[in-house]
Amino acid sequence: MKLSDVLETTKKEPHCGLCRIDFLGTGVCSAGKKHGFVAYYPEGRMELARALAEHEVEPTEALRDIVNSCNLCGVCDRQCYFVTQRRPTQAQHALQDYLKTLPPEALKTTPEDDIVKGLRAIVGNSWATNDPIIIASYQRSVIKQKSKGKYYIAMPKTTEEIVAIVNLANSHKIPYIPRGNGTFFGVALQTLLAEPATIEQGIIIDLWRMKDLEVDPESITATIGPGVTSFELQKAAHAHKLRANVAEAESCVIANAQNLGIVTTWSNTYGWGTDNFIDAEFIDSTGTIQHLSDKDIPNPYAAEQGLLSLSLIPSVIITKLTLKLHQILPDEEAIFVPFTNLSDALDLAHELAQRNIGVSLAVLSRKYLTEFISPTHEIAEDFNHIAEKYLKLNYIVDVICDKYSKKTIEELAKVTFGQTMLKSLILGSSKLASMKDSSLLKMIAEEEDPLKAVFGGPMRKHFEKGLAASPKELVKVFDKDLQEFFEKLYSKPELTDSIWLHNFRILPCRMERKHMWMYRGGYMPGDKETILKVVDALEKPAQQYDIDGAFGFLSYLERGKLAHLEYDYYYDHTDPEARKRVNKAIVESWRRQFAIKGVTPLEFICSKGLHRKEHIIYPFLPGLSEEELGHFEELIETLFGGEDTW
Amino acid sequence: MVKYLSQEWAEQAKKKVLTELDKAKDLKNMNASLLNVVQNIPPDNKTIYYYIKFTDGNLDELITSTDESIKQKQADFIVAGDYTTFIQINNGQMSSAMALLKNRVKMTGNKMKALTITKPIDNYNRCVNGVPTDY
Repeated sequence: MKLSDVLETTKKEPHCGLCRIDFLGTGVCSAGKKHGFVAYYPEGRMELARALAEHEVEPTEALRDIVNSCNLCGVCDRQCYFVTQRRPTQAQHALQDYLKTLPPEALKTTPEDDIVKGLRAIVGNSWATNDPIIIASYQRSVIKQKSKGKYYIAMPKTTEEIVAIVNLANSHKIPYIPRGNGTFFGVALQTLLAEPATIEQGIIIDLWRMKDLEVDPESITATIGPGVTSFELQKAAHAHKLRANVAEAESCVIANAQNLGIVTTWSNTYGWGTDNFIDAEFIDSTGTIQHLSDKDIPNPYAAEQGLLSLSLIPSVIITKLTLKLHQILPDEEAIFVPFTNLSDALDLAHELAQRNIGVSLAVLSRKYLTEFISPTHEIAEDFNHIAEKYLKLNYIVDVICDKYSKKTIEELAKVTFGQTMLKSLILGSSKLASMKDSSLLKMIAEEEDPLKAVFGGPMRKHFEKGLAASPKELVKVFDKDLQEFFEKLYSKPELTDSIWLHNFRILPCRMERKHMWMYRGGYMPGDKETILKVVDALEKPAQQYDIDGAFGFLSYLERGKLAHLEYDYYYDHTDPEARKRVNKAIVESWRRQFAIKGVTPLEFICSKGLHRKEHIIYPFLPGLSEEELGHFEELIETLFGGEDTW
Repeated sequence: MVKYLSQEWAEQAKKKVLTELDKAKDLKNMNASLLNVVQNIPPDNKTIYYYIKFTDGNLDELITSTDESIKQKQADFIVAGDYTTFIQINNGQMSSAMALLKNRVKMTGNKMKALTITKPIDNYNRCVNGVPTDY
């Protein structure tokens, strides 16, 4: 197999980083676990295969080591296929065959320079490199593609090692940047944010080895290192019947906390930002260790607001975070309220938020529901079509609550469904997709209220029966050699358990199966009028630049006073024209959002997760005037050049 | 070639701005003063203060000095950063706005006013880039 044979797959590598955690109980790539660098993980092999195929890097001796470290155990195929329908072993086969074609002298030795010697003296020989092959695997997940700069990768284990690295970088006058699991970079680096989010040369401090994790059940807190992912923390918390308020499974908790303050569906009750953080240890740009609890540090809550607060590179490296955990109620249940239009969904969700109902509360789009629970993108598309055309199901108010709140919701909502129906939808999604344009669906569509008919009326039983939901049925759509594994997997209760899926969040990366996405949205006052204006401000640019845009989810914060919205632009990031269009849409969406009072686009909260949100959100920014918007456009042009250069 | 931030460089830079930039079109008749604090200049890590002042788009002052007393001029904006970063800004590798965004420089001053001078300052930097400079 040639590298060019798998180029279509490797080019689309989304760098979600899920292959670096054991989210399916399969274990993790043993080569990656042993060597640490991204190059040894499936994600890195994919990137490397692409970079070699596109002649962006020359082979070195490290290539042999990387290729030979893989035993083709197939764990990565199971993990990656579950999320993105890709099979990284194909890239590994192509790398193996490519290596065979090379004469031994083609594998160059990478000479050490003073900086890599210094790094190795700090972290040990195995944990620092300047090898271009290993560095190439970090492209598009912390290093800009085709960057000509000179880079180093260091994988420290302790805070003191990071201090020494910062001092080394400062003495050589080169920049450095921390990397958690690269999930934010994986998305941002495909857009015009690549420049401000990266360094043009210098040291990548890969924090993956810093996995200290300690749960204190007495104080209901956890203290973690920067390499701990959401999945790992949640698993440790659950062992004590506790829950962490964390983002997607693969994201590093500290990076996420620092970046955006961790807003989730649980934020309805648990809060966000500094509501959940007790203390942090961090290293400033002079290499000094500080703690949020130190009396004499500069005011850590000082932050810019608005237009000039765009800063995608954190000013400090957080090396330890103590955060609150939360007790899990014994009678928690999932309850879903389907809606045809957003306005009605917002009315209910806002009322629940104001009354503090729902430990977890969100308005979820049809797109998220269908993409997350469907086993393949094709099925998701069919399911999406059916939901829209026949079921008139466009939004869901998605709640996890106790039995008392459940009763209240059932009183407030016309129709609801729960765990049983969701399980049927998950396991029956392929069957449902096959029913596209069936007489049953046509009959449902003719009902006065299709949602009520399907989820609350007499047709509910027929509908559920029609789905014939079972793991055996579901896995028929998977590659033959993986079906046995997936049948066993889907037979595990957690894979169809709404609460488990909300806790561990292993499904969102399914958004990346077909195309890359770019998250849009931000923070805003929680009134419906503002939210609908923001949705419009995000939707219009997508339409204007022919981007597939879709509402993602909305969480209310602080009892409905504020809201956080994610709206996504989907596009083919391997297509330069599509990238240009998405960049234009991003800029236009900023402009439109800033014109609305109280709205702060997501990017303008970046690197401020540990700041008190009051200093970022309040006072609500007045919508910018036309004159100010003109200055904003000039700022964008100064930063990113004109439209024709994007 | 003149040495970056030397008196000769300052003179040439000022002359170039005054002769080549249009006060209204390029400098937007801006009224602003800016003190750049250029730190860690080799070989002995000294600091040079680089002060500019515009009135109605006219470059009134362009001073470079090691004397801290220049701080008494009370510039509208103070931008502090490493010598290597200012080289990147001066040779056009990075705009000053991008340096700010990448946390390479720290700025104090009214941020909304800063927004209004982003473009003219960028035009100023582009013009000054044209002075043959030795770093």
